[in-house]
Amino acid sequence: MVQSVSEPQSAGDVSATRDLHIKAYRFMLLARVLDDKLASLYRAGKILGGVFLGRGQEALSVSIGVGLREGDVFAPLIRDMAGRLAFNESVLDAARTFLGSSLGPMRGRDGNIHRGRPKEGQLAMISHLGAMISVVTGTLFARRMRGVKGTVGVACCGDGSTSTGSFHEAMNQAAVEKLPLVMVVADNQYAYSTPTERQFACRSLVDRAVGYGISGHEVDGTNLSACLKVVGDAIERARAGEGPQLVVASLLRLCGHGEHDDAHYIETKLKASDLGRDCVKLAEAYLSQQSWADAASLASWRSEAIQKVEEATTAAQREPGPDPFVENYWAALSTKNLLEGNE
Amino acid sequence: MPQVPIIMPQLGESIAEATIVSYLVKPGDTVEADQDIIEVETNKANMNVVSPSRGVIEKLTAQIGESYPVGAVLGEIQVSKEDAHRSGMDTEHVDKVRSDAKHGTTTENGKTSQARVQPTVHGLPVPAHAAGAGYISPRLKARMNELGLHAADLAGVAGSGAAGRVTVEDFEKYIASLEKQKLTPASSMRIAVADAMRRSWTRPLATVGMPVNLDPLLVHRKAQANKPGPALYALRALALALSENSAPAGRLVGSNIVHPSSIDVGFAVEADDGVLVPVIRNADKQKLAELVDRYNKLVELARARKLPADATGGSIATVTNYGTFGLTIATPIPLPEQTILLGMGAGRKSQRWDEKTEKFVPVTEAHLTLSFDHRVLDGGAAGRLLGRVIYLMMHPQEL
Amino acid sequence: MSITYLEAIREAQAKALRDDPRVFIYGQDVGAFGGAFKATKGLAKEFPGRVLDSPIAEDAMAGLAIGAALEGMRPILEMQFADFSTVAFNQIVNQAATMFWRTNISCPITVRLPCGGTAGSGPFHSQTMEAIYAHYPGLVVLTPATVEDAYSMLLEAVAIDDPVIFCEHKFLYYHLKADALPTEALPVGKARIARVGRDLTLVTYSAMVHESLAAADELRSEGWEVEVVDLRSVKPLDTDTVIASVARTGRLLCVGEAWPWGGVTAEVITRVVCEGYDLLDAPPQRLNAKDTPVPYHPNLWSAHRPTATSIAAAARKVLQR
Repeated sequence: MVQSVSEPQSAGDVSATRDLHIKAYRFMLLARVLDDKLASLYRAGKILGGVFLGRGQEALSVSIGVGLREGDVFAPLIRDMAGRLAFNESVLDAARTFLGSSLGPMRGRDGNIHRGRPKEGQLAMISHLGAMISVVTGTLFARRMRGVKGTVGVACCGDGSTSTGSFHEAMNQAAVEKLPLVMVVADNQYAYSTPTERQFACRSLVDRAVGYGISGHEVDGTNLSACLKVVGDAIERARAGEGPQLVVASLLRLCGHGEHDDAHYIETKLKASDLGRDCVKLAEAYLSQQSWADAASLASWRSEAIQKVEEATTAAQREPGPDPFVENYWAALSTKNLLEGNE
Repeated sequence: MPQVPIIMPQLGESIAEATIVSYLVKPGDTVEADQDIIEVETNKANMNVVSPSRGVIEKLTAQIGESYPVGAVLGEIQVSKEDAHRSGMDTEHVDKVRSDAKHGTTTENGKTSQARVQPTVHGLPVPAHAAGAGYISPRLKARMNELGLHAADLAGVAGSGAAGRVTVEDFEKYIASLEKQKLTPASSMRIAVADAMRRSWTRPLATVGMPVNLDPLLVHRKAQANKPGPALYALRALALALSENSAPAGRLVGSNIVHPSSIDVGFAVEADDGVLVPVIRNADKQKLAELVDRYNKLVELARARKLPADATGGSIATVTNYGTFGLTIATPIPLPEQTILLGMGAGRKSQRWDEKTEKFVPVTEAHLTLSFDHRVLDGGAAGRLLGRVIYLMMHPQEL
Repeated sequence: MSITYLEAIREAQAKALRDDPRVFIYGQDVGAFGGAFKATKGLAKEFPGRVLDSPIAEDAMAGLAIGAALEGMRPILEMQFADFSTVAFNQIVNQAATMFWRTNISCPITVRLPCGGTAGSGPFHSQTMEAIYAHYPGLVVLTPATVEDAYSMLLEAVAIDDPVIFCEHKFLYYHLKADALPTEALPVGKARIARVGRDLTLVTYSAMVHESLAAADELRSEGWEVEVVDLRSVKPLDTDTVIASVARTGRLLCVGEAWPWGGVTAEVITRVVCEGYDLLDAPPQRLNAKDTPVPYHPNLWSAHRPTATSIAAAARKVLQR
């Protein structure tokens, strides 16, 4: 269901909204350029392992990143390049992780999307879908015990993840504990190749909110303004103590599940529908329509994004991978005297 | 201008190769980075290979309709230095670990090679239960090695383990009990001889014997100024016999017979706690009389334990005169590096039947024995050698 | 004064809560009810807001503990039965156990697993899970066999910066008593010689230590002196103490209540054979539970796991080789 965007009230509101849209759009653009570059590096054989992109989901994801504040907790998932960059991740961190540089945040031990800096609020996902949600809940739980107030945690997932037991357990637990968790579900119509009619039987995933006893919100994931409003609102409600919020966005994945997948199973009529519109292009059109950006600024933002991405990926490609003969790589415990020797 | 190869990229997780469908550019065209340049077909879909960098297509070597594996070179593109730098292609750093991980073992054209592994056809015999007197546990073996002991040393130990095996407790009790008895250190000579005898005994040894009439020898000896010892007669006779046919002194090593190079013959001398074996080199080349001084000198040196290094070792046969101990017959053990050992017993007056006079006549007689490694000699050859030695000893003027 | 194994666990938790404000306990029925086995009886009252009931959601429970640990807390997670921890398995082995290696940030959670069977407890209330967790890198796995170790090792578990799987044995909860809590203890990672011997090294852990001691008494009347080694921690495993013992006796029997395949007994024997082959005067042996789910009926249950009698019989076989 498309949420309509209400008219701004005052001049101050207008410039705040304009600034927010521009900031968000520029992160969407940066994410798109980076994703495209990663795709081409993948085809050139420069990337080990899988490449999973967020094409088509930038508007939703970036809304999280710009809606969160420093000190909040964010558990991004597979298609959240825009959100990560907008929250606090550097292009270099992303480039280094994909390109296997030992200088990246995961130091070669994990790769591609399994990256993060937990101490800075961005959790490093594990592959098991739904598993990160209760970890976000746990950080909020601990903060409450310690008397830390005013922070929020956002966890992201797709339609497929909502089928897992860990999603269910975590949502229920967060609701029982009344923690400020915002669960953002990107319903992009497919979980890998599985369409939603094989994934869930309720009318919309947002209906589950009732089951958990929490608030649910739907949003058109292709519309940046709508996403900024709905996601931003949900974050503020949670922050205000209204308990967990479920946001379900409808959009379409504009890439394969991974770059190894050609996504031939996505129905043509879906691609041609409103769901299949490119949120980046829509955002550009909106900015132009609002006279918040002209062709020149769009072009200059784009070339700036390209330059940032080129610099980061070139630098990362020149960096060495991890050296397996360095001792530090083979300790799985931080308590050194409890380590057993690794032959 | 650097040249950069256009490589078949990784088009999908399980895709190992792709077929060239068409070229979207031709040599001489300028292309941008990431521009589609070749259309390929995989088993999943049609895809495009993109240019690795901005540059000019130099050549396109892949054939339309042919299949190429991931990593194969499809053409070359000429790239300016700045462009090479921008796309990270001039980096000298070769991340070997990464490339190994990606391509696995590759041959020149990028195909993975797989050695065919032959399944094992022949198995090893499976030992039966580890028990019984012959079984030595790892611990026992380690302890024996530590103390320099061999299975032969365990002969005195009764085993209390399964089926009579010697456990390490039995062993330690035995060693401890030995310590309660009078112990004197064995001399290094004793240990060396023990080791040599143990090693020699690992072969199948046999002994044959024949009597020798010593009277001609005794007569010959009386007439010499420098009196040769009886063992020297035997030594010289053996040397001559071997110079005629050295095969009995050959050694079997694996499936080869090692032939002697010179007829060096040793003789046993009792010294202190053991036996030394000085050697007469090329004993076949000097006559008996010429050997006497050398022989006597060696006996003296041996008794004094002052034999020089070149006077021992390297002999191909040994003579031992066990008659000096009063023994009439013995089965001594050849040196571990030799095949034969000639032994001489004590001489005595005996009665022998004389065909001509049809009477028993008195003779001075001794037994001569040949102990030998039965892998190299059989009874016949041993008998013939002994016979020839005896003939020569009974015709001392030929020595 | 006498204190049971279970009471020692409670005392340790009370001390941890008292001494360290970062500690909290999370599990099903641990709050006012005091826990299914009363391991947290009275603690919710004494430490309000720090001993909390969770919904039946082992995956989310473990996830929450991990998230809290990231925030600097020291959660103690009580699983009602070890057998149910399989629902949390993913979070424990893929999230907690990999956290330090992947992100360089430690994950100091303690997961308490009530392990082992009692007569009638059946397949899903009897399992001993130490081998499965020990297999994954990044975890510390403890198996206390005595009242004293239940106390001191739980305190140490909370203090360790890495995830600890604390395998308590339900059979010992009420049956095992000690006179007093210890004032000092062997550190985690060191095994204990529970009984000095001469003829055989018997390596074991948890409830089987007591069965093994009973077996050793039986064998003493036949003239054998069996040395019993209580591993105390299964990972890290104190290979040095085990090998030193086999150096003295020359013979090895490993006993465990878990299933044979890939268990602790297999691991101990492997290490002794690899590192101490020449110390063995007889082939090493092991005794485990039968390779079936744990039976319900007491007749079957007592035949399923090693007992003092079956341990003595196995030991005789090794002694008489």
